[in-house]
Amino acid sequence: MSVPRGVDDRGRDDDRLRCGRSIEETLAQVAEGRGAERDEHQRGCLHCQAALAEYERLWSPVREAAAQRITAPDSVLESALRRIRGAVEHSDYGVLESPDGVTRIAARVVVVAARESARGVPGVRVALSKQVTATTGASEPAVTAGVAGRSTAIEITLAADHGLDLVALGERVRREVAARVQALTDLVPVEITVIVDDVFT
Amino acid sequence: MVDGRARRVSIGRRGSPTSTVIAVSDADGDALDHDADRWLVDKVRAGDVDAYEVLVRRHRDRIYRIALRMLGNPHDAEDVAQDVVIQLWTALAGFVGSSTFTTWLYRIVVNRCLNHLQRRRHTRPVLDADSPPAPGAEETVIAEQRAAATLRAIAALPPDLRAVLVLYQMEGLSYREVGAITNLTESTVRGRLHRARLHLLDELRGWA
Repeated sequence: MSVPRGVDDRGRDDDRLRCGRSIEETLAQVAEGRGAERDEHQRGCLHCQAALAEYERLWSPVREAAAQRITAPDSVLESALRRIRGAVEHSDYGVLESPDGVTRIAARVVVVAARESARGVPGVRVALSKQVTATTGASEPAVTAGVAGRSTAIEITLAADHGLDLVALGERVRREVAARVQALTDLVPVEITVIVDDVFT
Repeated sequence: MVDGRARRVSIGRRGSPTSTVIAVSDADGDALDHDADRWLVDKVRAGDVDAYEVLVRRHRDRIYRIALRMLGNPHDAEDVAQDVVIQLWTALAGFVGSSTFTTWLYRIVVNRCLNHLQRRRHTRPVLDADSPPAPGAEETVIAEQRAAATLRAIAALPPDLRAVLVLYQMEGLSYREVGAITNLTESTVRGRLHRARLHLLDELRGWA
């Protein structure tokens, strides 16, 4: 029994099922996932039951498509951000020398590692990180090779959950960031400044 | 934050290895995601590229997802999503915060997609019909094919109906939110949604 649209007794299309129920409401009931919540009329009406069953059958792929997890390709973010960064940023590198050669690590790598490790600390809602210039007054960023011997200085700005001991949170962030940055880059974070910039309730 | 001003309390000496600077502000009861978005938007407006990266990273899947469902074609969706990410960087200067960042972002993406559709008219079939099925269990392949066919059916809707359907049905927004994004009244949103559903049923009937 096919009841996709209302057809009255004279064979004309209209917006009601033969029992008088609104097609719009019946279809919405299915499309909004309430197809099984049938009222008294619908429990006893063959027209409504047929329409609901047909709409359920037809609509199930839409429901599946809506539930499908869609993730953006990396290129969506990276190429666009590269263009923006290229316009406003300079690249600085840490240089790690070994007998077999030199490893250059972009300042940005340290920034991302610090930001992500800070974000993982419970109580941190959102975090940003940047490299700061050496406290010696040198004009170069601290991460630059030789300025402080494989060392880097980092500033973390974050917003935290309300109600936490923010000084303790700052210490936890500092520990996590130091450990993670050193593990990933072998650069030593000699100075990590934590700025708790806002709290969210 | 009620008045947009933070109360800053400093602890320790900034610049020392143990310094912590604390700024406390009143909360406004908004959802946490909106708070975080607003916090990031403030930083972006001050020129912070990293804040922009974090903000876009939080929303990139949403941007791409809407574009894909609006355009029905991954390549076009990627192009539009990249354009949006670039456009947002400068457009955020004009974001006044009268709506949530998410609503504002949805509006930009939907408008961008509608412009794209207008330019693309009659030029290209939607979605890669000849793309090979992904490897995997038969059920997975069938589900993916069904999802792709559904996407094609949605992409065959007239653009004005499609936007409403994607935002309400696929993104789970309310009538009011869809109205705010598309600049339509709630009753118009309801009417278009119903027409979109009927159109979609007709499309789906052919292969269901």
